[in-house]
Amino acid sequence: MSNPSAGTSSKAKVGSSQPSETSFKRKRGVFQKDLQHMMYGFGDDANPLPETVTLVEDIVVEYVTDLAHKAQDIGSKRGKLSVEDFLYLIRKDMPKLNRCTELLSMQEELKQARKAFEVDEEKLATLE
Amino acid sequence: MKQSKDPFEAALEEQEESPPDSPVGEDELTSQTPNEAQNQTDGGQNILVDDDDDDYDDLGPTIKNPSHPSSSSTPKLHSTSVNASVSAAVTNKNKEYDDDEEEENVDVELSKFPSSADPTKMAKMQAILSQFTEDQMSRYESFRRSALQKSNMRRLLVSITGSQKISLPMTIVVCGIAKMFVGELVEKARMVMTERKESGPIRPCHIREAYRRLKLEGKVPKRSVQRLFR
Repeated sequence: MSNPSAGTSSKAKVGSSQPSETSFKRKRGVFQKDLQHMMYGFGDDANPLPETVTLVEDIVVEYVTDLAHKAQDIGSKRGKLSVEDFLYLIRKDMPKLNRCTELLSMQEELKQARKAFEVDEEKLATLE
Repeated sequence: MKQSKDPFEAALEEQEESPPDSPVGEDELTSQTPNEAQNQTDGGQNILVDDDDDDYDDLGPTIKNPSHPSSSSTPKLHSTSVNASVSAAVTNKNKEYDDDEEEENVDVELSKFPSSADPTKMAKMQAILSQFTEDQMSRYESFRRSALQKSNMRRLLVSITGSQKISLPMTIVVCGIAKMFVGELVEKARMVMTERKESGPIRPCHIREAYRRLKLEGKVPKRSVQRLFR
């Protein structure tokens, strides 16, 4: 299920590091800094070994890759890829599933909150 | 340890001034602006990102804690401010109880918890947090605040799927799943270490063993095509 990289060029949203990025090239150490804090939080040493962090990053990237491929397989039957596909894939894993539903509901609430906030600001603006 | 010198506690104090990230039901609509204004010091792109992450993780531990061993739980850190301070602050792992500081920290932490959460859970968290040592509190803070960057994840997903249409919820969900996966890996690696009676930082061999065990448990999606080199 590999898609040709020809059509996918870089997006403006992508970080400033690489202006044009082929989909097959993967920089190493993309998640290094975040992973260090995360591993400490989960029980590793305050300064995890760099090789450990690199290995964990590789494993995580492979995990996400496999997950995304499987989700794409499922999603292709329906048409396009959606969040539901990911949720279906982790349905057996209760902690992950609960966490994801929680994240999604909180994101919804945040969206509503921001919308309401903007409406309030508009009202203030029109009043003035 | 003086509060002003401990970067984690300084960060907690920052948060104390602007009660953060509770979802809508709260009074925090107005307080979200001070939070966002304060977040702007952390760096342009991360404003909303950090805000979002802060909000999600507030409820996180209430659900996640039962499945995690007692030693690990941390509130969140802004990753930009923490980089330099993590190694500095955490190198001293003294286990003294410093009740005064902890209680202040606890109050700060608790004011962040949204009231839409289960009050019994909140009470439990309150009881647990009040008894944390400094070391535990800093680890808990790392646990809550750490997150994979949404932009990086989105980039990765686009490169995997080849499709540009990766929605924000999808990125958020995958970041959450990946974070929990890292948690499983690290915890299992720690278990492996205790079995082998080793100590110190986790080494790649422990991670590999943990990964192998996770695969046996079926928690890792299997590739349909075998990978040649690992």
